[in-house]
Amino acid sequence: MTQRTSPLHQAHVDLGAKMADFGGWDMPIEYPGGGVVAEHTAVREAVGIFDVSHLGKATVSGAGAADFVNRCLTNDITRIEPGKAQYTLCCNESGGVVDDLILYLRADDDVFLMPNAANTAEVVGMLSDAAPEGVTVTEQHDDFAVIAVQGPLSDEVLTALDLPVDHDYMSYDEAEIEGTTISVCRTGYTGERGYELIVPADSAKGVWDRLLAEVTERGGLPCGLGARDTLRTEMGYPLHGNELSPDITPVMAASAWAVGWDKPEFWGKEALVAQRVAKSSRVMKGLLVTGRGIPRKGCQVKDGEGQVVGVVTSGTFSPTRKEGIALALVERSVKVDDEVVIDVRGRELTATVTKPPFVKTQVRQA
Amino acid sequence: MSDYPDDLRYTTDHEWVRETAEGVRIGITSYAQEALGDVVFVTLPQVGDEVSTGDSCGEVESTKSVSDLYAPLSGTVTAVNDALEATPELVNSDPYGDGWMYEISLSEDADTSALLDAEAYQAELS
Repeated sequence: MTQRTSPLHQAHVDLGAKMADFGGWDMPIEYPGGGVVAEHTAVREAVGIFDVSHLGKATVSGAGAADFVNRCLTNDITRIEPGKAQYTLCCNESGGVVDDLILYLRADDDVFLMPNAANTAEVVGMLSDAAPEGVTVTEQHDDFAVIAVQGPLSDEVLTALDLPVDHDYMSYDEAEIEGTTISVCRTGYTGERGYELIVPADSAKGVWDRLLAEVTERGGLPCGLGARDTLRTEMGYPLHGNELSPDITPVMAASAWAVGWDKPEFWGKEALVAQRVAKSSRVMKGLLVTGRGIPRKGCQVKDGEGQVVGVVTSGTFSPTRKEGIALALVERSVKVDDEVVIDVRGRELTATVTKPPFVKTQVRQA
Repeated sequence: MSDYPDDLRYTTDHEWVRETAEGVRIGITSYAQEALGDVVFVTLPQVGDEVSTGDSCGEVESTKSVSDLYAPLSGTVTAVNDALEATPELVNSDPYGDGWMYEISLSEDADTSALLDAEAYQAELS
Protein backbone atom coordinates (compact mmCIF):
# COMPACT_ATOMS: atom_id res chain seq x y z
CA MET A 1 0.00 0.00 0.00
CA THR A 2 1.41 3.40 -0.90
CA GLN A 3 1.62 5.88 1.91
CA ARG A 4 -0.83 8.75 1.88
CA THR A 5 0.32 12.29 2.52
CA SER A 6 -1.14 15.44 4.04
CA PRO A 7 -1.66 18.60 1.93
CA LEU A 8 1.07 19.99 4.23
CA HIS A 9 3.56 17.17 3.61
CA GLN A 10 6.07 19.35 1.75
CA ALA A 11 5.99 21.95 4.55
CA HIS A 12 7.11 19.26 7.03
CA VAL A 13 9.84 18.00 4.71
CA ASP A 14 11.06 21.59 4.28
CA LEU A 15 11.18 22.01 8.07
CA GLY A 16 13.31 18.86 8.28
CA ALA A 17 10.73 16.90 10.29
CA LYS A 18 11.36 13.29 11.23
CA MET A 19 8.56 11.50 9.38
CA ALA A 20 6.95 8.13 10.11
CA ASP A 21 3.95 6.05 9.17
CA PHE A 22 0.79 6.73 11.14
CA GLY A 23 -2.31 4.78 10.13
CA GLY A 24 -1.04 4.57 6.54
CA TRP A 25 -0.08 8.27 6.41
CA ASP A 26 3.46 9.66 6.28
CA MET A 27 3.28 12.20 9.12
CA PRO A 28 5.72 14.33 11.17
CA ILE A 29 6.78 12.73 14.47
CA GLU A 30 9.01 15.59 15.65
CA TYR A 31 10.81 18.65 14.28
CA PRO A 32 14.45 19.76 14.44
CA GLY A 33 14.91 22.45 17.10
CA GLY A 34 12.11 20.82 19.07
CA GLY A 35 11.93 17.13 19.88
CA VAL A 36 9.13 15.43 21.78
CA VAL A 37 9.89 16.94 25.18
CA ALA A 38 10.34 20.56 23.99
CA GLU A 39 7.26 20.32 21.73
CA HIS A 40 5.22 18.86 24.59
CA THR A 41 6.35 21.64 26.92
CA ALA A 42 5.57 24.31 24.31
CA VAL A 43 1.93 23.15 24.26
CA ARG A 44 1.64 23.06 28.07
CA GLU A 45 3.31 26.46 28.60
CA ALA A 46 2.87 28.48 25.37
CA VAL A 47 1.46 27.15 22.10
CA GLY A 48 2.09 24.43 19.52
CA ILE A 49 0.82 23.83 16.00
CA PHE A 50 0.14 20.30 14.70
CA ASP A 51 -0.80 18.91 11.32
CA VAL A 52 -3.41 16.22 11.98
CA SER A 53 -4.67 15.93 8.41
CA HIS A 54 -4.39 12.14 8.66
CA LEU A 55 -7.65 12.28 10.62
CA GLY A 56 -10.51 11.12 8.43
CA LYS A 57 -13.27 13.35 7.13
CA ALA A 58 -16.71 12.34 5.93
CA THR A 59 -20.10 13.97 5.54
CA VAL A 60 -23.46 12.34 6.17
CA SER A 61 -26.12 14.38 4.38
CA GLY A 62 -29.75 14.26 3.34
CA ALA A 63 -33.09 14.40 5.13
CA GLY A 64 -32.79 12.66 8.51
CA ALA A 65 -28.97 12.48 8.44
CA ALA A 66 -28.56 13.39 12.13
CA ASP A 67 -31.27 10.92 13.19
CA PHE A 68 -29.59 8.22 11.17
CA VAL A 69 -26.18 8.88 12.74
CA ASN A 70 -27.86 8.84 16.14
CA ARG A 71 -29.19 5.33 15.51
CA CYS A 72 -25.66 4.10 14.71
CA LEU A 73 -23.07 5.87 16.91
CA THR A 74 -23.13 5.68 20.70
CA ASN A 75 -23.41 9.25 21.95
CA ASP A 76 -26.76 11.07 21.98
CA ILE A 77 -26.77 13.67 19.23
CA THR A 78 -29.93 15.25 20.69
CA ARG A 79 -27.76 16.51 23.57
CA ILE A 80 -26.17 19.04 21.18
CA GLU A 81 -27.34 21.76 18.79
CA PRO A 82 -26.08 22.70 15.35
CA GLY A 83 -22.68 24.42 15.74
CA LYS A 84 -21.54 21.92 18.35
CA ALA A 85 -19.15 18.99 18.22
CA GLN A 86 -19.49 15.70 20.10
CA TYR A 87 -17.15 12.83 20.96
CA THR A 88 -18.79 9.53 20.00
CA LEU A 89 -18.00 5.89 19.27
CA CYS A 90 -18.71 3.52 16.44
CA CYS A 91 -19.18 0.05 17.97
CA ASN A 92 -19.61 -3.39 16.51
CA GLU A 93 -22.47 -5.69 17.54
CA SER A 94 -20.44 -7.12 20.44
CA GLY A 95 -19.83 -3.61 21.78
CA GLY A 96 -16.18 -3.44 20.73
CA VAL A 97 -15.01 -0.09 19.40
CA VAL A 98 -14.49 0.08 15.62
CA ASP A 99 -13.47 3.71 16.05
CA ASP A 100 -13.82 6.77 18.25
CA LEU A 101 -14.57 10.00 16.44
CA ILE A 102 -15.67 13.61 16.69
CA LEU A 103 -18.90 14.58 14.96
CA TYR A 104 -19.84 18.13 14.01
CA LEU A 105 -23.59 18.78 13.84
CA ARG A 106 -23.95 21.35 11.06
CA ALA A 107 -27.72 20.85 10.60
CA ASP A 108 -30.28 18.09 11.02
CA ASP A 109 -29.51 17.03 7.46
CA ASP A 110 -25.73 17.61 7.55
CA VAL A 111 -23.26 15.89 9.91
CA PHE A 112 -19.47 16.04 9.50
CA LEU A 113 -17.42 13.17 10.95
CA MET A 114 -13.76 12.99 11.88
CA PRO A 115 -12.70 9.35 12.45
CA ASN A 116 -9.16 8.04 12.91
CA ALA A 117 -6.99 7.70 9.81
CA ALA A 118 -6.78 3.92 9.81
CA ASN A 119 -10.49 3.40 10.55
CA THR A 120 -12.07 5.91 8.19
CA ALA A 121 -12.78 3.43 5.42
CA GLU A 122 -14.48 1.01 7.81
CA VAL A 123 -16.63 3.68 9.52
CA VAL A 124 -17.66 5.14 6.15
CA GLY A 125 -18.40 1.64 4.86
CA MET A 126 -20.55 0.68 7.86
CA LEU A 127 -22.54 3.93 7.67
CA SER A 128 -22.94 3.68 3.88
CA ASP A 129 -24.26 0.14 4.14
CA ALA A 130 -26.78 1.14 6.79
CA ALA A 131 -27.86 4.47 5.26
CA PRO A 132 -31.58 4.71 4.41
CA GLU A 133 -32.91 6.09 1.14
CA GLY A 134 -32.10 9.80 0.89
CA VAL A 135 -29.06 9.78 3.21
CA THR A 136 -25.64 9.88 1.56
CA VAL A 137 -22.26 9.17 3.20
CA THR A 138 -19.37 10.91 1.42
CA GLU A 139 -15.74 10.16 2.22
CA GLN A 140 -13.65 13.39 2.03
CA HIS A 141 -10.33 12.29 3.51
CA ASP A 142 -8.17 14.22 1.02
CA ASP A 143 -10.38 17.30 0.68
CA PHE A 144 -9.30 19.02 3.88
CA ALA A 145 -6.26 19.60 6.05
CA VAL A 146 -6.74 19.65 9.82
CA ILE A 147 -4.45 22.02 11.73
CA ALA A 148 -4.47 22.00 15.54
CA VAL A 149 -3.35 25.06 17.50
CA GLN A 150 -3.07 24.07 21.16
CA GLY A 151 -1.85 25.75 24.32
CA PRO A 152 -2.52 28.73 26.57
CA LEU A 153 -1.46 31.21 23.84
CA SER A 154 -3.63 29.69 21.09
CA ASP A 155 -6.22 32.48 21.34
CA GLU A 156 -3.48 35.07 20.67
CA VAL A 157 -2.35 33.15 17.58
CA LEU A 158 -5.83 32.94 16.09
CA THR A 159 -6.72 36.52 17.00
CA ALA A 160 -3.63 37.75 15.14
CA LEU A 161 -5.18 36.28 11.98
CA ASP A 162 -8.67 37.63 12.75
CA LEU A 163 -9.96 34.12 13.38
CA PRO A 164 -12.75 33.56 15.93
CA VAL A 165 -11.80 32.51 19.47
CA ASP A 166 -13.39 31.93 22.84
CA HIS A 167 -16.42 29.99 21.68
CA ASP A 168 -17.50 27.23 24.07
CA TYR A 169 -15.49 24.03 24.38
CA MET A 170 -16.71 21.48 21.79
CA SER A 171 -18.29 24.10 19.54
CA TYR A 172 -17.17 25.55 16.24
CA ASP A 173 -17.39 28.70 14.17
CA GLU A 174 -16.77 29.41 10.51
CA ALA A 175 -14.34 32.05 9.26
CA GLU A 176 -12.81 33.47 6.08
CA ILE A 177 -9.07 33.30 5.51
CA GLU A 178 -6.86 32.99 2.41
CA GLY A 179 -9.98 33.44 0.28
CA THR A 180 -11.70 30.37 1.65
CA THR A 181 -14.04 29.29 4.44
CA ILE A 182 -12.66 27.24 7.31
CA SER A 183 -14.13 25.73 10.48
CA VAL A 184 -12.53 26.72 13.77
CA CYS A 185 -13.41 24.14 16.42
CA ARG A 186 -12.66 24.44 20.13
CA THR A 187 -11.43 20.87 20.32
CA GLY A 188 -8.13 19.07 20.70
CA TYR A 189 -6.27 16.05 22.05
CA THR A 190 -3.78 17.71 24.37
CA GLY A 191 -5.78 18.77 27.43
CA GLU A 192 -4.89 22.42 26.81
CA ARG A 193 -7.13 25.22 25.64
CA GLY A 194 -6.96 25.12 21.86
CA TYR A 195 -8.53 24.85 18.44
CA GLU A 196 -8.67 22.53 15.46
CA LEU A 197 -9.04 24.16 12.04
CA ILE A 198 -10.60 22.30 9.13
CA VAL A 199 -9.13 23.90 6.01
CA PRO A 200 -9.77 23.08 2.32
CA ALA A 201 -6.65 21.27 1.05
CA ASP A 202 -5.85 23.92 -1.60
CA SER A 203 -5.54 26.65 1.02
CA ALA A 204 -3.84 24.59 3.71
CA LYS A 205 -0.25 25.71 3.05
CA GLY A 206 -1.12 29.41 3.21
CA VAL A 207 -3.05 29.02 6.47
CA TRP A 208 -0.33 26.80 8.02
CA ASP A 209 2.44 29.27 7.14
CA ARG A 210 0.60 32.22 8.67
CA LEU A 211 -0.31 30.29 11.83
CA LEU A 212 3.22 28.89 12.19
CA ALA A 213 4.69 32.42 11.98
CA GLU A 214 2.40 33.59 14.80
CA VAL A 215 3.18 30.47 16.86
CA THR A 216 6.97 30.81 16.59
CA GLU A 217 6.80 34.56 17.29
CA ARG A 218 5.29 33.66 20.68
CA GLY A 219 7.93 31.09 21.53
CA GLY A 220 5.77 28.20 20.37
CA LEU A 221 6.81 25.28 18.17
CA PRO A 222 5.57 23.11 15.35
CA CYS A 223 4.73 19.82 17.08
CA GLY A 224 4.71 16.28 15.76
CA LEU A 225 2.63 13.25 16.59
CA GLY A 226 5.23 12.18 19.19
CA ALA A 227 4.30 15.10 21.44
CA ARG A 228 0.62 14.62 20.62
CA ASP A 229 0.90 11.10 22.08
CA THR A 230 2.63 12.14 25.33
CA LEU A 231 0.15 15.02 25.75
CA ARG A 232 -2.89 12.77 25.32
CA THR A 233 -1.44 10.07 27.59
CA GLU A 234 -1.00 12.63 30.39
CA MET A 235 -4.71 13.42 29.96
CA GLY A 236 -5.76 9.75 29.94
CA TYR A 237 -7.40 10.27 26.54
CA PRO A 238 -7.83 6.90 24.81
CA LEU A 239 -6.03 6.11 21.55
CA HIS A 240 -7.75 3.68 19.22
CA GLY A 241 -5.55 0.61 18.88
CA ASN A 242 -4.39 0.99 22.51
CA GLU A 243 -7.19 1.85 24.95
CA LEU A 244 -9.97 1.22 22.43
CA SER A 245 -10.25 -1.61 19.91
CA PRO A 246 -12.81 -3.99 18.43
CA ASP A 247 -12.10 -6.14 21.52
CA ILE A 248 -12.31 -3.30 24.05
CA THR A 249 -15.70 -1.73 24.78
CA PRO A 250 -16.50 1.79 26.02
CA VAL A 251 -17.55 0.24 29.35
CA MET A 252 -14.00 -1.10 29.77
CA ALA A 253 -12.30 2.04 28.43
CA ALA A 254 -13.96 4.45 30.88
CA SER A 255 -15.76 5.94 27.86
CA ALA A 256 -19.30 5.11 29.01
CA TRP A 257 -19.94 8.85 29.31
CA ALA A 258 -19.88 8.94 25.49
CA VAL A 259 -22.75 6.46 25.26
CA GLY A 260 -26.40 7.59 25.10
CA TRP A 261 -27.69 4.74 27.26
CA ASP A 262 -31.31 5.94 27.06
CA LYS A 263 -31.38 5.93 23.26
CA PRO A 264 -33.68 3.28 21.75
CA GLU A 265 -30.89 1.99 19.55
CA PHE A 266 -27.23 2.28 18.56
CA TRP A 267 -24.73 -0.25 17.27
CA GLY A 268 -23.66 -2.62 20.04
CA LYS A 269 -26.31 -1.46 22.53
CA GLU A 270 -27.48 -4.90 23.63
CA ALA A 271 -23.97 -6.18 24.37
CA LEU A 272 -22.91 -2.95 26.08
CA VAL A 273 -25.96 -2.80 28.34
CA ALA A 274 -25.34 -6.40 29.40
CA GLN A 275 -21.67 -5.70 30.11
CA ARG A 276 -22.50 -2.53 32.02
CA VAL A 277 -24.92 -4.43 34.26
CA ALA A 278 -22.58 -7.41 34.78
CA LYS A 279 -19.76 -5.18 36.13
CA SER A 280 -17.24 -7.95 35.59
CA SER A 281 -15.07 -6.70 32.73
CA ARG A 282 -11.67 -5.12 33.20
CA VAL A 283 -11.67 -1.31 33.29
CA MET A 284 -9.15 1.41 32.43
CA LYS A 285 -7.14 3.03 35.21
CA GLY A 286 -4.06 5.21 35.37
CA LEU A 287 -0.77 3.96 36.82
CA LEU A 288 1.79 6.38 38.23
CA VAL A 289 5.23 4.85 38.61
CA THR A 290 6.67 5.48 42.08
CA GLY A 291 10.23 4.39 41.30
CA ARG A 292 12.35 4.97 38.22
CA GLY A 293 11.30 3.46 34.90
CA ILE A 294 8.87 3.65 32.03
CA PRO A 295 5.99 1.20 31.56
CA ARG A 296 5.20 0.23 27.96
CA LYS A 297 2.21 -1.11 26.05
CA GLY A 298 1.79 -4.84 26.71
CA CYS A 299 3.52 -4.91 30.12
CA GLN A 300 1.69 -7.06 32.67
CA VAL A 301 0.28 -5.51 35.85
CA LYS A 302 0.40 -7.60 39.04
CA ASP A 303 -1.02 -7.21 42.53
CA GLY A 304 0.89 -7.54 45.81
CA GLU A 305 0.67 -11.36 45.62
CA GLY A 306 2.14 -11.48 42.14
CA GLN A 307 -1.19 -12.33 40.47
CA VAL A 308 -1.64 -10.79 37.01
CA VAL A 309 -4.48 -8.24 37.32
CA GLY A 310 -4.12 -6.28 34.11
CA VAL A 311 -2.11 -5.08 31.14
CA VAL A 312 -0.66 -1.71 30.13
CA THR A 313 -2.36 -0.24 27.04
CA SER A 314 -0.19 2.91 26.78
CA GLY A 315 2.90 3.87 28.71
CA THR A 316 5.41 6.65 28.45
CA PHE A 317 7.55 9.15 30.31
CA SER A 318 5.46 12.15 31.34
CA PRO A 319 7.41 15.24 30.25
CA THR A 320 5.32 17.40 32.61
CA ARG A 321 5.63 15.22 35.74
CA LYS A 322 9.03 13.72 34.84
CA GLU A 323 7.76 10.28 35.85
CA GLY A 324 6.64 7.09 34.17
CA ILE A 325 2.88 6.94 33.55
CA ALA A 326 0.60 4.35 32.04
CA LEU A 327 -2.99 3.60 31.13
CA ALA A 328 -3.95 0.01 31.85
CA LEU A 329 -6.92 -2.33 31.66
CA VAL A 330 -7.20 -3.89 35.12
CA GLU A 331 -9.53 -6.12 37.11
CA ARG A 332 -12.26 -4.34 39.04
CA SER A 333 -10.67 -5.49 42.30
CA VAL A 334 -7.87 -3.00 41.58
CA LYS A 335 -8.84 0.34 43.18
CA VAL A 336 -7.52 3.89 43.05
CA ASP A 337 -4.57 4.37 45.47
CA ASP A 338 -3.73 0.63 45.41
CA GLU A 339 -0.11 -0.24 44.87
CA VAL A 340 0.62 -2.57 41.93
CA VAL A 341 3.71 -3.90 40.19
CA ILE A 342 4.36 -3.49 36.46
CA ASP A 343 6.57 -6.11 34.82
CA VAL A 344 8.80 -4.08 32.47
CA ARG A 345 10.89 -6.62 30.53
CA GLY A 346 11.51 -8.64 33.67
CA ARG A 347 12.13 -5.66 35.96
CA GLU A 348 9.43 -4.88 38.51
CA LEU A 349 8.27 -1.29 38.76
CA THR A 350 6.03 -0.22 41.62
CA ALA A 351 3.12 2.02 40.66
CA THR A 352 0.10 3.65 42.28
CA VAL A 353 -3.34 3.24 40.71
CA THR A 354 -4.89 6.61 39.81
CA LYS A 355 -7.86 8.09 38.03
CA PRO A 356 -6.53 10.07 35.02
CA PRO A 357 -5.75 12.80 34.06
CA PHE A 358 -2.16 12.82 35.31
CA VAL A 359 -1.97 16.57 34.62
CA LYS A 360 -4.84 19.00 35.26
CA THR A 361 -6.91 19.60 32.13
CA GLN A 362 -7.28 23.18 30.85
CA VAL A 363 -9.69 22.59 27.96
CA ARG A 364 -12.61 24.47 29.46
CA GLN A 365 -10.50 27.19 31.02
CA ALA A 366 -11.90 30.66 30.29
CA MET B 1 33.62 18.61 16.47
CA SER B 2 32.89 16.02 13.86
CA ASP B 3 29.72 13.98 14.32
CA TYR B 4 32.04 10.94 14.45
CA PRO B 5 35.35 11.82 16.14
CA ASP B 6 38.45 10.16 14.65
CA ASP B 7 39.89 9.16 18.04
CA LEU B 8 36.95 6.82 18.79
CA ARG B 9 36.14 3.31 17.61
CA TYR B 10 32.58 2.31 16.73
CA THR B 11 30.25 -0.70 16.61
CA THR B 12 27.49 -1.56 14.16
CA ASP B 13 25.13 -1.26 17.17
CA HIS B 14 25.86 2.50 17.05
CA GLU B 15 28.02 2.65 20.15
CA TRP B 16 31.42 4.29 20.55
CA VAL B 17 34.47 3.15 22.50
CA ARG B 18 37.20 5.46 23.81
CA GLU B 19 40.46 4.10 25.20
CA THR B 20 41.26 5.32 28.71
CA ALA B 21 44.22 4.70 31.02
CA GLU B 22 42.47 1.75 32.72
CA GLY B 23 40.25 0.40 29.95
CA VAL B 24 37.55 1.87 27.74
CA ARG B 25 34.65 4.31 28.07
CA ILE B 26 31.45 3.53 26.15
CA GLY B 27 28.54 5.59 24.85
CA ILE B 28 26.11 5.81 21.94
CA THR B 29 26.81 7.67 18.72
CA SER B 30 25.39 10.90 17.41
CA TYR B 31 23.43 8.84 14.88
CA ALA B 32 21.91 6.69 17.65
CA GLN B 33 20.79 9.60 19.83
CA GLU B 34 19.33 11.36 16.81
CA ALA B 35 17.39 8.25 15.80
CA LEU B 36 16.07 7.73 19.34
CA GLY B 37 14.94 11.30 19.85
CA ASP B 38 14.82 12.83 23.34
CA VAL B 39 16.41 10.37 25.76
CA VAL B 40 14.32 10.33 28.94
CA PHE B 41 15.63 7.26 30.78
CA VAL B 42 18.86 5.25 30.85
CA THR B 43 19.47 1.93 32.61
CA LEU B 44 23.15 1.12 33.09
CA PRO B 45 25.03 -1.96 34.34
CA GLN B 46 26.41 -1.94 37.87
CA VAL B 47 30.02 -1.42 38.82
CA GLY B 48 31.56 -4.86 39.19
CA ASP B 49 29.35 -6.52 36.56
CA GLU B 50 31.18 -8.88 34.20
CA VAL B 51 30.13 -8.34 30.58
CA SER B 52 30.92 -10.24 27.39
CA THR B 53 30.91 -8.87 23.87
CA GLY B 54 27.33 -8.62 22.62
CA ASP B 55 25.68 -8.89 26.06
CA SER B 56 22.67 -6.69 26.61
CA CYS B 57 23.76 -4.66 29.62
CA GLY B 58 21.49 -1.65 29.70
CA GLU B 59 18.72 0.27 27.98
CA VAL B 60 18.25 3.73 26.52
CA GLU B 61 14.65 4.95 26.33
CA SER B 62 12.93 7.80 24.55
CA THR B 63 9.27 8.75 25.13
CA LYS B 64 8.29 6.22 22.48
CA SER B 65 10.89 3.46 22.30
CA VAL B 66 13.48 1.35 24.08
CA SER B 67 16.92 0.38 22.73
CA ASP B 68 19.33 -2.13 24.26
CA LEU B 69 22.91 -1.28 25.10
CA TYR B 70 25.24 -4.07 24.00
CA ALA B 71 28.68 -4.56 25.50
CA PRO B 72 31.13 -3.82 22.65
CA LEU B 73 33.95 -5.68 24.43
CA SER B 74 34.41 -8.16 27.29
CA GLY B 75 35.47 -6.97 30.72
CA THR B 76 34.42 -5.70 34.14
CA VAL B 77 32.39 -2.55 34.67
CA THR B 78 34.50 -0.04 36.61
CA ALA B 79 32.36 3.12 36.43
CA VAL B 80 28.92 4.29 35.30
CA ASN B 81 27.76 7.80 34.49
CA ASP B 82 25.49 8.56 37.45
CA ALA B 83 24.63 11.99 35.97
CA LEU B 84 22.36 10.28 33.46
CA GLU B 85 19.92 9.37 36.23
CA ALA B 86 18.89 12.99 36.73
CA THR B 87 19.88 14.37 33.32
CA PRO B 88 19.46 11.71 30.62
CA GLU B 89 19.22 14.50 28.03
CA LEU B 90 23.04 14.71 28.17
CA VAL B 91 22.99 11.72 25.80
CA ASN B 92 21.40 14.00 23.19
CA SER B 93 23.30 17.19 23.89
CA ASP B 94 26.79 15.70 24.33
CA PRO B 95 26.84 12.03 23.26
CA TYR B 96 30.68 11.75 23.18
CA GLY B 97 31.29 13.85 26.30
CA ASP B 98 29.05 14.25 29.34
CA GLY B 99 26.58 11.78 27.84
CA TRP B 100 28.95 8.81 28.21
CA MET B 101 27.44 5.60 29.65
CA TYR B 102 29.94 3.32 31.44
CA GLU B 103 33.56 2.17 31.59
CA ILE B 104 35.03 -1.30 31.62
CA SER B 105 38.46 -2.76 32.28
CA LEU B 106 39.06 -5.20 29.46
CA SER B 107 39.40 -8.89 30.03
CA GLU B 108 42.58 -10.51 28.72
CA ASP B 109 40.78 -12.07 25.77
CA ALA B 110 38.92 -8.88 24.77
CA ASP B 111 38.87 -8.69 21.00
CA THR B 112 38.96 -5.21 19.50
CA SER B 113 39.30 -6.38 15.89
CA ALA B 114 35.58 -6.02 15.15
CA LEU B 115 35.49 -2.33 16.08
CA LEU B 116 35.25 0.19 13.26
CA ASP B 117 37.15 3.41 12.77
CA ALA B 118 35.22 6.63 12.11
CA GLU B 119 35.44 6.25 8.36
CA ALA B 120 34.22 2.65 8.34
CA TYR B 121 31.37 3.49 10.74
CA GLN B 122 30.17 6.36 8.57
CA ALA B 123 30.30 4.04 5.57
CA GLU B 124 27.95 1.71 7.52
CA LEU B 125 25.51 4.60 7.95
CA SER B 126 25.34 5.60 4.32
